Amino acid sequence: MTELNQIDLRALQAGDKRTWDAFVGASAPLINAVVRRSLASYRLSEEDVLDAAQDVYVRLCTNGFRLLKTYDAARASLSTWLAVVARSAAIDHARRRRQPTQPLDEVPEARLAVEDRHVEKLKIPDGLLTNRQILILKYLYDEERDAAEVAKLLNIDAQTVRSTHHKALVRLRAHFQGKDP
Amino acid sequence: MRRENIPEADKELWRRLAPAGEGAPQPVSELDFAAWLDGRLPEARAAAVEAAVASDPALRRAALELSELLGQPLPAAPSRLEVRARTLVGFEAERRQRRPGLLNWLLAGGRRFIVQRVATLAAAVVVAISGFVLGGGLGASWAKERYGALPDASTLSSGSGDPAEFLGSDGI
Repeated sequence: MTELNQIDLRALQAGDKRTWDAFVGASAPLINAVVRRSLASYRLSEEDVLDAAQDVYVRLCTNGFRLLKTYDAARASLSTWLAVVARSAAIDHARRRRQPTQPLDEVPEARLAVEDRHVEKLKIPDGLLTNRQILILKYLYDEERDAAEVAKLLNIDAQTVRSTHHKALVRLRAHFQGKDP
Repeated sequence: MRRENIPEADKELWRRLAPAGEGAPQPVSELDFAAWLDGRLPEARAAAVEAAVASDPALRRAALELSELLGQPLPAAPSRLEVRARTLVGFEAERRQRRPGLLNWLLAGGRRFIVQRVATLAAAVVVAISGFVLGGGLGASWAKERYGALPDASTLSSGSGDPAEFLGSDGI
């Protein structure tokens, strides 16, 4: 079976039938998995999920492979790009059908918390934290993810995530010291 | 739900802060997002993507889900999916150009030229109606087609009454 990285992109983008068939065989497990995962909260039927996966392929080949032609192998791997495209297409497909649902016990507590509107929130000054520090804090606090997951996402080790988190907190405490944060 | 062992004081501090980096995030292209997930973006561009991801909960979830999926072995897809996807390319039906309908023609290219197209269509309708009316309309042409082959009523009633002519017409 052909691997995704063995696909002749030029032939694929030119609409060669045999290359397209090989591409479908190589990409179907990934597209199927991404679509199923992306639509898990929408509670769609098996037929709807297959339609959504089919939509990904339609999107790729429509208008003379216009979307496929935007892919640049020098910038990202084909599998990652396909996964991003598949997720986006699947969610578009599902939104046309129905609203997502999420079991209450899967919702992070931070999102369920009732906000006390009488307490004025403290604004983090621009530049106090880096974008990466903010991202890590959001994953740890708002999404309630653990350091290992965030590390895998950011291609760094878990210890780096913990130390980035620690440094960010030190900066926040230092900044808001005396401001009763 | 997974929980990192974070001191309560830190959580409390975070709760007291206004959401950082939220507002109008820069849109991230699918290719940039994929490059960021692959760790292939240079630092400055990665920072821009990270700012966008930090400010958008949907992007945060997408990033986590995709990074989990991309690192694990995947089950085979249903054969129906592959069969259906293969039919999308290389068949005559796919190659044949679709003929645009009137509505497609009107709306082609968005709304930019819709006024011109409607005006053209209206002019065409006016010309067609005018030609039709000047040509006598449907009633006259229908009547001509329906009765044109029959002898004129005046011919039927204009017989001379002469028996010789009657017999002569029968070849007698």
